[in-house]
Amino acid sequence: MRKTNWLQQILTQISLLVIGLYVMVPIWGAIRLAFDGSLKSRPVEFRLFPKELSLKPFLSVLDRPYQSVDFVDLLKNSLIVSLGAALIALVLGASLAYAFARYRFPGRKPALFVLLFAAMLPPVAFMTPLYIVLSMVQLRTTLLGLTLVYVTFALPFCIWNMRAGFQSVAKELEEAAFLDGANSLQTFWFVSLPLSLPSITIAGLIAFLMGYSEFAMGWLFVSNAETVTLAMSIYAMVQSGNAQPWSILASMFIIMSIPIVIVFAVLQNTLLDRMLFVSQKK
Amino acid sequence: MKNKKIIIKFLMVFGILIVAALAGTIRWHALTTLNVDYDEDDYLRAAQQYTTIIRAGDWDALKETNYRSEHPPLAKIVFGISLLPLPEKTLIADRPTSAGPNQYLPRDLLRNARITSAIFGTLTAALVALVDPVGGFFLAIHAFTTKYVSQVMLEALPAFTSILSAFFYIQWKKRRRKEFAWLIASGLFLGLTAASKYIYCVVGIAIIIDWMIVAIQSKEIKKTIIPLLGWGLFSIVVFFAANPYFWADPFGRIKETLVYYSSYSTTATEVTSAGYPFWQPLVYLFSTPKSWQPNAILVAVDPLITLFAILGFKSQLKKQSLYSIWVLVALVFLFIYPVKWAQYVVILTAPLCIMAGEGFKNTILIPILNWLSQIRITKSNSIAVVRYDTKKALPWLIPGIIVFVLFTILPLIFEVGVSLTDFNSISIKDGFEGGIFREVWGAFTGKIQSVDTEFPFREKMVSFIGTSAYPIVLRSVTDNGILFFNLFWTVASVGLQTMLGLLAALLLKQKKVFMKKGWEILFILPWAIPEMIGALMWVNVFQPETGWLSLGVSQYGTSFPFSFLNGWQNSSSMQMLVLLIAGVWYGFPFMMLAASAGLKLLPKEVYDAAAIDGANGIKVFRWITWPMLVPLLVPAVIIRSIFAFNQFYLFQVFPTGQLTLAGLSYNLFNPSGFFINGQFAISAVINVITVVILVIFVVILNKWSNASEGVTYA
Repeated sequence: MRKTNWLQQILTQISLLVIGLYVMVPIWGAIRLAFDGSLKSRPVEFRLFPKELSLKPFLSVLDRPYQSVDFVDLLKNSLIVSLGAALIALVLGASLAYAFARYRFPGRKPALFVLLFAAMLPPVAFMTPLYIVLSMVQLRTTLLGLTLVYVTFALPFCIWNMRAGFQSVAKELEEAAFLDGANSLQTFWFVSLPLSLPSITIAGLIAFLMGYSEFAMGWLFVSNAETVTLAMSIYAMVQSGNAQPWSILASMFIIMSIPIVIVFAVLQNTLLDRMLFVSQKK
Repeated sequence: MKNKKIIIKFLMVFGILIVAALAGTIRWHALTTLNVDYDEDDYLRAAQQYTTIIRAGDWDALKETNYRSEHPPLAKIVFGISLLPLPEKTLIADRPTSAGPNQYLPRDLLRNARITSAIFGTLTAALVALVDPVGGFFLAIHAFTTKYVSQVMLEALPAFTSILSAFFYIQWKKRRRKEFAWLIASGLFLGLTAASKYIYCVVGIAIIIDWMIVAIQSKEIKKTIIPLLGWGLFSIVVFFAANPYFWADPFGRIKETLVYYSSYSTTATEVTSAGYPFWQPLVYLFSTPKSWQPNAILVAVDPLITLFAILGFKSQLKKQSLYSIWVLVALVFLFIYPVKWAQYVVILTAPLCIMAGEGFKNTILIPILNWLSQIRITKSNSIAVVRYDTKKALPWLIPGIIVFVLFTILPLIFEVGVSLTDFNSISIKDGFEGGIFREVWGAFTGKIQSVDTEFPFREKMVSFIGTSAYPIVLRSVTDNGILFFNLFWTVASVGLQTMLGLLAALLLKQKKVFMKKGWEILFILPWAIPEMIGALMWVNVFQPETGWLSLGVSQYGTSFPFSFLNGWQNSSSMQMLVLLIAGVWYGFPFMMLAASAGLKLLPKEVYDAAAIDGANGIKVFRWITWPMLVPLLVPAVIIRSIFAFNQFYLFQVFPTGQLTLAGLSYNLFNPSGFFINGQFAISAVINVITVVILVIFVVILNKWSNASEGVTYA
C-alpha cells in the first residue's frame, strides 16, 4: 500500500514538474534578460542566466522608462484607471446581477441571453461608439474617459459573473434571514454579498486586469503623455524596436506583473477562506 | 390518418422536385458563366480521346487509353459519351498539371461535358433531398459543391455514386440486414465510385466503420463479417469491370498509380508551393468561392451550412450515424492528405448537408414550432405556468436596467447606426457634429436616399449607405479565412486549456501532494501576468533570429530541445502551434482554478461510498467526479471561449500576421494605423457581424450547457 503511494507521488511530481517548466519557460526568459546589465540591444546569444548580473535595467525603468514620463506617474495612471473601472463596474452591476440571480420576472430569459452575449463582446466592439461619444463630451483623452471605457468593457462580464456568485449562495440561508425579519436589501447586504464575495472578487479582479493590461484602446483614445498607463508605455517601447536594451523591456514586464501577482496571492487566500466557509455550513 | 400519410408523401415529392429545380437552376447558371478552371482542359482532352475510340468502335484502344492516368477512367468515359453528338474537334493540347487554366477550349465540347457534370450534381441534391429535404436544399445552394459539379471536373459522378452507395447500405441496415439486394447495390455503386475518383471511397471506409460499430454493439460480428467481405469483394470486381484501363495489366497499372500519388503529393510544385496548413479543408468549408468569380455563384452561404452541420452532428449520429461518420472520416483523411485542393471538399458536402439539415431542424425549426404551439397553449389556458415575483425584483431591476442600457445597449445601437454610414476619419468633424444621427434618421424617415461610395471611404461629409457594406465585409472575412481562423482558434485553445487545467487540478487535488501550495502558486502565475506581457514573454522565446529558441538552435544545433519549432513562422500549421502554446499557457490557470473550485464543492460522502464499494481511480473519475464536475465547469468554459474568440492582444503583439475579427476591426479603425486606416464605418460593420456570430455562439453553448437556464430557486 505504501509503495504504491510513493509511486503515485513520484508520477504526480513528474507531471507537475512538466507543467511547471511550461509555465516557467517564458517567465525565466524575461527574468534572465531583466537582470542582465550587459545588453545594449537585442540578445545575441543563448544564455540560461544573465551574463552580467545587475539591477541596472530596473533602476533605469524606475527612473524614466518611457520618453519623459516618470514611472510613478505611469503606475498611478494605471491604478486609477483599472481600479476605478473595476469598482465602478462591480457597484453598477450588482443590482442587476442580484435581480437575475434571485427573481423571476417576465422577459428574464431573453434578458439573460442579451447579458451573456453582451459579456461576450470584445472591447473592440465598443470602440466606435465610445470614441465618438467621449469625443463629443470632450472626455476622450482624459483618465476619467479611459476609466469609463474600461467600465463599459467590464460591466456585462461583471454582471454575469456576480449573478453566478449570488446564485450559488444557498437558498436556506437567505430564507432564514428573511424569516428573521430582514428585508431584501438587508438580506443582500448581510447574507448574499458576503457569501458570494469570492465570485465577486474574481469578477473584480478580471475587470481590473482588463484595464491594467489594456494598451490598444488606450492608444486609440489617449493622445497626451500625462495619461499614458504602464501597459501603454510597454507597447510603445515594443513598437520602437531595438532602440532600447531588451533588458529594460523585460524588467518592465516584471515590475508590472509583480503587484498583480501579489494582489492575486492575497485574493486567492480570501477566495479559499470563503470556500472553506461554504463547506463549513454543512 | 391515411390522408395525412398521402399528404406527407406528396409534400416530400414536392420538396424533392423543388430542390432538384433549384439545384438545376443554380448549376445551369454556374456552368454557363464559370471561367475555365485548372484541369478542365485535361479532362476534356481525355473525353475527346474516348469519343474518338467509341466512334471508331476500337475497344482494344479503350484498354490502353487513360489520359491523366492517376485518375481512373469512368468519369472521363462518361464525358466522352456526352461529346458523341458533337462534331469532332482537334485534340486539346497536352499540358503539365501545373499549367494555368486554358481559356481557349472549344465551347460546345466544354458545354456538353459541363452539362453532364451538372446533371449528376443535380441528381445528388435530389437524392439528398429524399433523405432530408432541408439537407437537399443546403446541397443545392452549397457554393463550393455547385462550382465543382458544374465544371469538367471528376467530382460530380463519384459524388453521386458515393451517396447512392451510402443510401443503399442504409436501406439494407434499416431492413434488419436481411435483404441483400440493397447491399449488392451499395457495393455496385462503391465500385463505380472507385472507378471515377479514388478519394470518394472514403464513403466505403465510413460504411465499414458504421458496420463495425453496429456489429460490436449487437454482438453480431461473426454473422455480419461474411456479407461485409462479400460487399467489399463485389465492389472491387465492379471497380475492375468499370475500369478498362486496368484490364490489360492490372498490377503494373495499380503500381503506376500508387507511385504517382506518393510522388505527386510530396514533390509537385503546385502542391508544395501552395503552403496550405493541415486544416485548410475546414477553411474551405467556412468560406465561399464567391470572391473568385462573383457573377457565377448566385448563393454563397457555405459557412452557415457548416455551422448548422456542427450543430446537427450529435443528433445525426444518433439518428443515422453513417453520415456523421462519413464527414469525420473524410475530414481526417483530408487533414492527413498533403494535397489540399478546394474540390476535395465535395467528397463530404453531401453528408455535411444532411447533418446541416438536422442541425437546422434542431436549432431553428423545432424551437419555432415549439414556440408557436406554446403561444397556442397559453392562449387557450389562462392559468400562468410560471410564477413571477416581479414586484420584489423591481427595486433591483430598475437601477440595473438603467446602467445596462446606458453602458451597453445604447453604444451598440449607436454602432449599428454607424455601420449604415460611410463615417471615417476624414468625415470625423461632421460625424461629431451630429452627422451620423442626421443621416441615419433622415434615411429612416425617408428624406435621405442611400449613396454608393467606394471603399476605402474618404468623403468629407457622412452619408447613409444602407447595408451595402455588409455583404462585402462578410465575404471578405470568410474568404480570407479570418472568420474560420477565429473559430478554429477558439475551439482548439479552449479545448487544450480545459484539458491541462483539469489535469493540474486533479493532480493537486490528490491527498498529500508534496509542495502542493508551491505548485499551485506557480501554476497561477500565467493568469496573474497580464495577457500582453505574457504574450510578449513568449515573443521573447519564439522571436525568429533573436528569440531564445532561435539563439539556442543556432548555438547547439538540432539537439536543442524543441528545435523542430524553429522556423515556425514559415508554416501556417506551426504558427498555429506556437500561438496555441502561448494561448494555452495564458488560459489554463483559469480553468485549473475553476476545476479545483468545483472539485472542492463535490460532496465527500459520495467518494467515501465509492471507496467502500471498491471503485478505482479511473472509475471514480468517470462515474463520479466527471459527471458532477461538468456542470460546475461549464461557466468557466463559456468564459474562456469568450476570451479566446475575442482574443486580440496576443495576435496584436505576436508577429504572425494572423488576424481575428477583433484585430481586423481595430486595425481598420485606428486613425493612425499603417493599414487602410480610419475606416470607422467598416470597423462598425465587422463589429456588428461579430455580435451576430457571438449570438450563434451563445446559442450553441446554451444548448450544450443550459447556462442561462432558470434560477436555482425563486
